[in-house]
Amino acid sequence: MAKAPDNERFTRVVQPHFDRLYGLAWRLSGQQASAEDLFQELMIKACLKLDELEQLDEPGAWLARVMYNLFVDEHRRFARQRLLLVGEGRLPGDGLAGFAGEDDPVRNAERDEETAELERALEKLGEEHRIVLLLHDADGYKLKEIQELMGVPIGTVKSRLHRARARFQEILVQRGTIPATQPCKR
Amino acid sequence: MQERDDNPQDEQLGRRLSAYQPPPPARGFYESAVQRALVARQQKKDRRRHLLGGLFGGLGVAAAAGLVAFLVGPMIAGVDDDSSELPEVTIALAEAQTVRLVFSSTEALVDATLTVSLPPGVELQGFPGQREVSWETSLAAGQNVLPLRLLAVGPTGGELLAHLEHDSRDKSFSLRISVT
Repeated sequence: MAKAPDNERFTRVVQPHFDRLYGLAWRLSGQQASAEDLFQELMIKACLKLDELEQLDEPGAWLARVMYNLFVDEHRRFARQRLLLVGEGRLPGDGLAGFAGEDDPVRNAERDEETAELERALEKLGEEHRIVLLLHDADGYKLKEIQELMGVPIGTVKSRLHRARARFQEILVQRGTIPATQPCKR
Repeated sequence: MQERDDNPQDEQLGRRLSAYQPPPPARGFYESAVQRALVARQQKKDRRRHLLGGLFGGLGVAAAAGLVAFLVGPMIAGVDDDSSELPEVTIALAEAQTVRLVFSSTEALVDATLTVSLPPGVELQGFPGQREVSWETSLAAGQNVLPLRLLAVGPTGGELLAHLEHDSRDKSFSLRISVT
């Protein structure tokens, strides 16, 4: 039987993973233009390996791992801002969760400041800790998924997560974002 | 459900971070990315030989910043592009940035040679210190995009020249690179 056209085959495999992969690209690269470049690079690489991709049981995991490797190989040296949601992410109308539907300018300003505080605190974490913390705690990746993505032992992922949370907490306390003896409050 | 310790502080932290989500991509971005990938696949199938593969990909929707369009035209002439004003892109010092040159060609050009000449203080990623990089490639009829990953190592900027040769014909395209 003849194969379906490439565009149908490729779309069928990759489309279900678009949002998650784009989210990953953003977490890794830290800004829209870089995230789009990274996503684009992945799509080209994936499309060139379409025949192999179609044979995989979990193409999403493969795609995420390839994206991570692309990031490590080609972007790490040049990306200055990573894992941040500054600039483009806070422009009006960009759909950033938490800002939508807010009419109270004072509350908006407070949220801006809260977000900026988070960004500043995240900046102080090491890159590997930031990635693990955001993927796990912000995006809901499982430890095993992060392990496969980063190609490190599960114990390393757990350790990084534990340290990242502790350090992040410490940084927030130091900055006065949260009280020293209390858990995080909204 | 996330795997999480029962530590309430971690839960609070997780809730705080969960609200911290990236915005969606530009409208049409996914479709455009898929289209470019498919063109790259097709070009790989078609390509008979190349020195640096993968630099060209077709572009359905020109959506990204740093994008400069050139018209190759039905016949390549030995003169510069007709545009009276030089297109200009601005890149940040010491920060790699992708500038996309879009070549609109009315015919396929197989085994063309493209030479990129860089101004002083601007490098092509992967070719440190080289002022001129040349390779063989093919252009499809329609739009072809050349993403150049540029790194400004000096503040001056200047004129970037893309010189395209095919058979005995050639044409040059220029753009100004400003560094901030």
